[in-house]
Amino acid sequence: MSEAPATISRPQRWDVPFESAMGAVAVARILSIPPFSQIDASRFPASTSLPDILLNDTGLRSFKKNQVIVREGDYGNSAFFIITGSVRVALGKDAIPAEVLGRRQPEKKDFLSTLRQLWGNARYPEVRSLRRYKEAKAGAEHEKGDDTTAIFLHDIPSVLKGGTAVLTAGMFFGEIAALSRTPRTATIFAEEDCELLEIRWQGLRELRLRAPEIKQFIDTNYRKYSLENHLRETKYFKDLSPAELKEVANQTRFETYGSFDWHSNYKKNRDVAPEERIKEEPLIAEEGQYANGLVLIRAGFARMSQKYNQGERTASYLSRGQMFGFDEIAHNWNTKDSAPLQYTLRALGYVDVLVVPTSVVEQYILPKIPQASFPPPIVAQNKQINDRRDGELSTDVVEFLVDNRFINGRATMVMDLDRCTRCDDCIRACASAHDNNPRFVRHGHQIGRYMIANACMHCLDPVCMIGCPTGAIHRNALGGQVVINDTTCIGCSTCANSCPYNNIQMVEIRNELGEHILDQENRPVTKAAKCDLCVEQMTGPACVNACPHDALTRVDMQDTQTFAKWLQR
Amino acid sequence: MASTLTFFSQRRLINLGLLLSAVAAFWALQESYANGIRSTGLLSGTALFGTCLVLALFNARKKLPFIPLLKASTWTQFHIYAGWFAVVVFFFHTGLRMPNGLFEIALYSVFLAVALSGVLGLILSRIYPSRLRLYGENLMYERIPSLRQQLQADVEKIIWKSVNETKSFTLARMYESKLKAYFSAKKNTFHHLIGSEKPVNDLTEELNQLQRYMVAAERVFLAEVIECVKAKDNLDMQATCQGVLKYWLFIHIPLTFSLLLMGLLHGLMALAFN
Ligand code: SF4
Ligand code: SF4
Repeated sequence: MSEAPATISRPQRWDVPFESAMGAVAVARILSIPPFSQIDASRFPASTSLPDILLNDTGLRSFKKNQVIVREGDYGNSAFFIITGSVRVALGKDAIPAEVLGRRQPEKKDFLSTLRQLWGNARYPEVRSLRRYKEAKAGAEHEKGDDTTAIFLHDIPSVLKGGTAVLTAGMFFGEIAALSRTPRTATIFAEEDCELLEIRWQGLRELRLRAPEIKQFIDTNYRKYSLENHLRETKYFKDLSPAELKEVANQTRFETYGSFDWHSNYKKNRDVAPEERIKEEPLIAEEGQYANGLVLIRAGFARMSQKYNQGERTASYLSRGQMFGFDEIAHNWNTKDSAPLQYTLRALGYVDVLVVPTSVVEQYILPKIPQASFPPPIVAQNKQINDRRDGELSTDVVEFLVDNRFINGRATMVMDLDRCTRCDDCIRACASAHDNNPRFVRHGHQIGRYMIANACMHCLDPVCMIGCPTGAIHRNALGGQVVINDTTCIGCSTCANSCPYNNIQMVEIRNELGEHILDQENRPVTKAAKCDLCVEQMTGPACVNACPHDALTRVDMQDTQTFAKWLQR
Repeated sequence: MASTLTFFSQRRLINLGLLLSAVAAFWALQESYANGIRSTGLLSGTALFGTCLVLALFNARKKLPFIPLLKASTWTQFHIYAGWFAVVVFFFHTGLRMPNGLFEIALYSVFLAVALSGVLGLILSRIYPSRLRLYGENLMYERIPSLRQQLQADVEKIIWKSVNETKSFTLARMYESKLKAYFSAKKNTFHHLIGSEKPVNDLTEELNQLQRYMVAAERVFLAEVIECVKAKDNLDMQATCQGVLKYWLFIHIPLTFSLLLMGLLHGLMALAFN
């Protein structure tokens, strides 16, 4: 059946608000509560006024006593502000068992709908159902924050493995995960019946940008409530007593290098020679200098390099949760030697680090480490380029991954061109799993026999999400895959322009007759399209499943050992 | 010891072990049949037809990439070793005798053709990918014809420019006599199939020989044309080898279906007449 006429009004940012029930009365009420009441509304442009942000990018949520609000490990796209009542943070990693948290697998197609793809796929490229768009607009379908609406914790003392901390009215939580595009670090549940304001990150970003009060409020909150948590989860810090941890937290410095929107600079400098580009990367610590602090990476990536003849050899890359400088500090304390830093640490784009001063490490941390757990003493190294042990990436591979920022990938498509027969079974499989639209190109940067194909890598830091005004591009709460909600995508191309790897295509959509869908001004309506890692498919990524020659895999670049094993198979 | 083996070598050893065990088990079964009164021909014939049927299912599996039916690469491994098993069973079945009768000869030949095309496909799929990578820029097969046209247009532009700027016709004459044909269609297929670079080396050599008849300015254009010749050679190589990798299945699969059909007929006839 035809769905003509193939016209819809051009989608706009706030066509589908975060919460359709939010109204003028609710907005006025929020604006009367500090810190919102202290914001100077004139700093917001008319197109995104403060009341409009509250109206469209926030939602009121009520939680009953013991109801879970956010779960550790979930990818959240929103932060919360406590209006009334209080919430509890379950401290420590895996503080609440996964079964208790009611973890659900992402919704997959059932067997019948999977089979239906055999004959039910569209005959034309990029076919969309107009009916679905219209229904969504009427029913305000949107990406909710976390899908935890009905999970209650019973018998809390017995399910909790560690301690808890209380957050009360007037505080924010969840903003780090929402803004840094990382998983939630703790489970938070309602201590009593409470009312919260959920703010999707697009709105939160504008609030932080235009209202310094909010930014300051959030940063102070972090130092007060989250820093100790972060430290507690770091290797070697676990055995500190609460008092010691507080002291270490007090003396820890926050440092930020590079810019949050690192992708624009990266794109600009891509053609600069690598040896020149490395010099442009902000220096965090330099080889040969005294290690005056232990550096913990809180967000982003850093390059660890070593002088090598006239240039610098990249030894490895660090990301969230990894540390730098520990071996030197431990060596000096243990042997009364004074070995300087063996490597240079530079920011790759944007890096947020915590620096624990050496004297603090010596006073609180090193005395608690058993001799057997100390890193091996530092000896003068004469490593050759491409020295490689089993399970390690060779230097040229590391350089390649770092230079092209592929280290960001959590599911990077790597192809072995010496096994790939160019049969395109992977592309056909991808197309059949996506209504006959292939979502990647068998083409990309090459190092020797390996190619990183142009397929979304479901990045650790998905910068493509930064500018999306509607939150259409978001992380799947459970698996963390970066996916696009086709209904709320307004086709503005921000994500496609932001992706440093060119892995998003803007496509002109059609109706079932293959006719272009047009807006009121007769311009074709476009949508962003990319690999979704087959989140809905029973098999996982169809490409990997379909390759008959073991030529293709998806790699988490944080797991270098598995990758090295694959390369050396 | 085993830990020093790579994943692929380990897999090869395990699969080979499984294949040998399957052959031994089949041989034992065949022997037990031979000692009894039952027909070994029926046993090996059924086993052979069943194996071929399972082998043919691989093609159906490829059409269902989104159904959880094991990875295609696992199927490939099974396909390779079950294929070898089928060859062994075939020789058990035929007793290494030449067939007689037209239908039997046809069936025998089709089986051999399927088996040989399979082995050839396996060898090519292990040799050609790295040759493709090392030879030159990797290109998408579908884009090769348009790239060839583009390259020819580029060469013609160079020749025009050379004539206009140098007023010398050495290069233009060479283009008319030899290069035009070279650029206008896929060339040297056989040499690319066997991995020989002789034709492109001969041609560049011939072009280099022309230098002595050129003015200095024309030599600059000659160098550009030689680059285009090399690029065209890569296009031909990619088209030939990628084409073979893509289209050998167009021989292997129809032959397999003919084999299944003929095998079925053969089985029915054998049952009817015995
Ligand atoms: S679209 Fe680009 S930036 Fe976004 S997750 Fe995929 S590869 Fe990363
Ligand atoms: S084009 Fe990209 S950035 Fe723009 S709305 Fe769609 S998903 Fe968001």
